[in-house]
Amino acid sequence: MNIIETKNLTKTYGGFAAVSGLNLHVPKGTVYGFLGPNGAGKSTTMKMFLGLTKPSGGSFVIDGKHFPGDRAQILKEIGSFIEAPAFYGNLTGEENLDIVRKILGLPKASVSEALEIVGLTQHRKRLARKYSLGMKQRLGLASALIGKPPILILDEPTNGLDPVGIHEIRTLIRSLPQQFVCTVLVSSHLLSEIELMADNIGILNHGRLLFEGTLDTLKRNAAAQGYPTDNLEDTFLALIDADNQQRGGAR
Amino acid sequence: MSFVLELRKVKRTGFLPAFLSGGILAAAVPALNMAFRSEMYVGMNAAPVNILLDANWQMMSMLNILLVVAGACILYNTEYADNAIQRMCTLPTKESTMFFGKTAVLITVSILLLMIEAVSVFGCSIHWFEESADLYMETLKNFGFFLMLMLPTILFSLVIASVSKNMWISLGIGVVCVFVATMIPSQNFVLTLFPFALPFLTLESHTADVIRNYTVAGAVETVLIALLEVMILKVRRSFE
Repeated sequence: MNIIETKNLTKTYGGFAAVSGLNLHVPKGTVYGFLGPNGAGKSTTMKMFLGLTKPSGGSFVIDGKHFPGDRAQILKEIGSFIEAPAFYGNLTGEENLDIVRKILGLPKASVSEALEIVGLTQHRKRLARKYSLGMKQRLGLASALIGKPPILILDEPTNGLDPVGIHEIRTLIRSLPQQFVCTVLVSSHLLSEIELMADNIGILNHGRLLFEGTLDTLKRNAAAQGYPTDNLEDTFLALIDADNQQRGGAR
Repeated sequence: MSFVLELRKVKRTGFLPAFLSGGILAAAVPALNMAFRSEMYVGMNAAPVNILLDANWQMMSMLNILLVVAGACILYNTEYADNAIQRMCTLPTKESTMFFGKTAVLITVSILLLMIEAVSVFGCSIHWFEESADLYMETLKNFGFFLMLMLPTILFSLVIASVSKNMWISLGIGVVCVFVATMIPSQNFVLTLFPFALPFLTLESHTADVIRNYTVAGAVETVLIALLEVMILKVRRSFE
């Protein structure tokens, strides 16, 4: 069963199509890796799911709920982290999460729980503006994870983290479907990273979905089309390059 | 709920101290004026509150409006500075709810501001003039009128602050609006309906009919500005 489904989802800015006729299927209880080069339309798609951007065409259903009619219900079920951490710099990490908690109507304990998950308990009383980039990233993740939502939308969540932090967050994301019984839609422009986290992947280029399925299916399809399959990074690059060539060399 | 949340968000921004110190500064205006040149006013044949407001209200209201503009900028700067507004927009709450929460906070601190000023005017009246029976009522009536006419200013300042992500642009527009308002002739009814010009008006300088018209116009303006913000939020979302 798919928890997120889009039908010809499109977003255009003037004459430029950021997302074009996207048909995405995110199965429930899995980690779905949303992959694509910078500017492929990953963030725009995620923003549409969260109501931050209005779709120009098409539709989507999240957990059986339609947008925009069921916007509030959809947002109640989604924990999100888009592009960069968003927080109140004049408040502490704990106070930031408490604001989110109050809006979501969660119990007080959910704040300390979220801080514990991302390893910020020790720094909970520090002002968010004084956090390091990695700590801000963790605060953003804690804000997404608070209340253990059934759906998590994470846009490049490991940006700005050191290798240890990347490993920790990656392990955490990988464990989320079992730990919290949730579905994770995570974007990245690094196949190596998605490879270690995702059950299913969707590859986006210039707003169009080039591939959707498991990594094994990707390997098989790539081999059938004569693309390199020894290294998934090469497979991904070959796929993107072939699409760019087809589009007349546009990058 | 939204009011409490919005109040929490301004923690450590200097918002409350700014209004408190601004209120004390504005309250000091009539006191200092009377302390240095009371002989100019004590012999006048009018109600003490009216004499004091006639002599000081222009300066006091100017301070009030500047505080409202700065307050609105602070309220929205907390949202825009570290992009917190994006997180708020991904939660099951409406941006318009946030706007009205901020409006409630700004109205509350403006009431506090006017109360400090009212105490000062009341105190000056008792100290320098003969105490009259209706002094209490006169003060209440005047400051109630000021609050009513301040509502459009509060909402319009918040609309300006909500539109621009850069606080300095909002502050600049607000300050320009304040100075434009000071140039508007106070006897022209239509021109004085400019939201930043309304708080300069006093009860004493107008007839009962005109005061009623201003009160109605202030209420209508308040509603219209609130609707304008709701429309702005809807249109802005379509272009994002």
